[in-house]
Amino acid sequence: MTVPLAEVNVEALSIFAVIVAITLAITYWASQRTKDAATFWAAGRGITGAQNGFAIAGDYMSAASFLGIAGLIFLFGFDGFLYSVGFLVAFLVVLFLLAERMRNSGKFTMADVLSFRLNERPARTAAALGTLVVAGFYLIAQMVGAGALINALVGINFSLAVIATGAFMLIYVVFGGMLATTWVQIIKAILLMSATIVLSIFVLGKIGWNPIDLFNRAEAQSDDGHAYLEPGLRFDNPIDTISLGLGLVLGTAGLPHILMRFFTVPDAKAARTSVVWAVGLIGAFYVMTTFLGFGARAILGEAGATGGVDEAGNLAAPLLAQEVGGGDGTIGGDAFLAIIAAVAFATILAVVAGLVISASGAVAHDVWSNVIRKGRDSEHEEVYVARIAALSIGAIAIAIAVAGGSDLNVSYMVGLAFAVAASANFPALLLALTWKRFNTTGAVTGVLCGVISSVGLVLVGPDVRSDPLIELTQPGIISIPIGFLGCILGTLLSKEEAKAERQFEELHVRSETGIGAERPLEGAGLAPRPRRPRPEVPAGTGVAPTR
Amino acid sequence: MATPGTVRGPAHHEEIDWERAARSPEFQELEGSRRSFVLPATIFFFCWYFGFIILAGYAPSFMGESIYEGFTVGYLFALTQFVMVWVLAGLYLRRANRVFDPLVRRVVEKTPGAAGYATDGAGTSPTDGPSTPRTGDGRPGDREVTS
Repeated sequence: MTVPLAEVNVEALSIFAVIVAITLAITYWASQRTKDAATFWAAGRGITGAQNGFAIAGDYMSAASFLGIAGLIFLFGFDGFLYSVGFLVAFLVVLFLLAERMRNSGKFTMADVLSFRLNERPARTAAALGTLVVAGFYLIAQMVGAGALINALVGINFSLAVIATGAFMLIYVVFGGMLATTWVQIIKAILLMSATIVLSIFVLGKIGWNPIDLFNRAEAQSDDGHAYLEPGLRFDNPIDTISLGLGLVLGTAGLPHILMRFFTVPDAKAARTSVVWAVGLIGAFYVMTTFLGFGARAILGEAGATGGVDEAGNLAAPLLAQEVGGGDGTIGGDAFLAIIAAVAFATILAVVAGLVISASGAVAHDVWSNVIRKGRDSEHEEVYVARIAALSIGAIAIAIAVAGGSDLNVSYMVGLAFAVAASANFPALLLALTWKRFNTTGAVTGVLCGVISSVGLVLVGPDVRSDPLIELTQPGIISIPIGFLGCILGTLLSKEEAKAERQFEELHVRSETGIGAERPLEGAGLAPRPRRPRPEVPAGTGVAPTR
Repeated sequence: MATPGTVRGPAHHEEIDWERAARSPEFQELEGSRRSFVLPATIFFFCWYFGFIILAGYAPSFMGESIYEGFTVGYLFALTQFVMVWVLAGLYLRRANRVFDPLVRRVVEKTPGAAGYATDGAGTSPTDGPSTPRTGDGRPGDREVTS
């Protein structure tokens, strides 16, 4: 069982080419419609709830989920599955606390909500910082992962793979904006779900259709024996386990590229529906990681680890597909490997496109338009700057990934992105929406405390230093309280802000009811929506429209 | 715009009396109704999830005990998390559609200047609302390129 490291996998490349051709056609269609800022960043707010549910799933389930979790379960058994659980439970926080409020209050970026009632420039700058740090770490991790995976699976050189991934990502975002990004994510979600379902069925067939047998076989195939089915193989420190759980559950609610998706739907009801769709899809996927991870252990055994599966276990799922498809060298085995490789490629493209468009929002809409130009720029300029920003961010990420090479240690970066999101973005957003006294100083100190503490803890931790100052790989349990404390102390120790408290009522009512919310563009979306006749009500009369 | 805080972000609506809307019995009822679901549901899922995580951290051998032919306590506990998420999301969706949305509609009806902002899932048509511009905030130069 060897990975086709040297030779180029023509089958996988052909499937890549088909996926790329379809997504480029969509990008062309989207580029024809992307003329204004609301289409560039929010797809004209014409994405339906179900479409957005698929897009959220496509935006969220990175290669780290698909290949990474399968690999973590393959290597560490039960501890790998902890990720699957945390990634899903996180969506309850999003559904209950943020999805509808974000849609009602915001316009294009997370910073819109944070700065709604606070002092525009400092609050926006802080939110943009939080966005860029999260998107930056996440993006670099994905790009390096993309290069390494495509290199191993398809046989293309690492740098070329990174540049190709980056180039497609930039074409989608620069020309097609959020509209193209959304459809790339929807297609990816469909591909990922289909491939995972088929692979799970093959795995079940291979072990005789008894799912419980999967655990027994996996245990028998592991050198760790019964410990493989117990927690503790990856995290021997219980505090790390709890810290990881906290970071995953609160981090998702602070991921800028996920929050941005709620601006693409017509209203709060569609935002809510989209989370429920996403929860169904993402939950089904993470349940199936059982078949991918434990299945890889049961079917490939230790031989998988010494033979082809790399250190992080990222190749467990593709090798599993090859094995259940018939094995190395068979038509079925090679075809299945090629399909999984192509799905992994689509997965990476959809996630990096979402990350780049959210980062471009932070640079162009937040920093350029509102902080530097103070709103004096035209909408045309805003979109122009957004495209330049996306190009620059993409180019920087490509450069770092190519310069760092496949040896760059990115294993901690996705975890760090979640920790920063949970410690910097989530506390500030939640308090801006719910705490009247909250002020600009609190927001700025909170975001800074969250960013500095989570990045700092990882920099002195065992993932980065060989002589760690602190024996904690997951910073959440310390950095999340620091983020909240920063917000609260910063607020209480500074002067009350009359404007922030006065405008709190506006944000409060708006976020809960949608009164004053940004409206969808006319004609946005795919098909014309049936429009209910509504009696004309003159504004300000307070007369109830009859339904 | 007069205040720098409203330049290119979401448009503020000075024409609506937000203080009054926030104090209105309709809004209070909406908030109370929402809180009566979200608060207990959030407390429940936090306890259930962190109960699972804490046991995974501190009681690995208990979590590894077999319930049925190798199917472990820990794995069963993990599967209940998935069921919990689906059930709570479904309950929230139903409660929101049946209870919160009609309450939102009542707040909208009782708030002068808010007509046309009711949540109906199909998107409010931009043409039938109040006199709010649909994008930007109507600043000169918002649409046309001046430079």
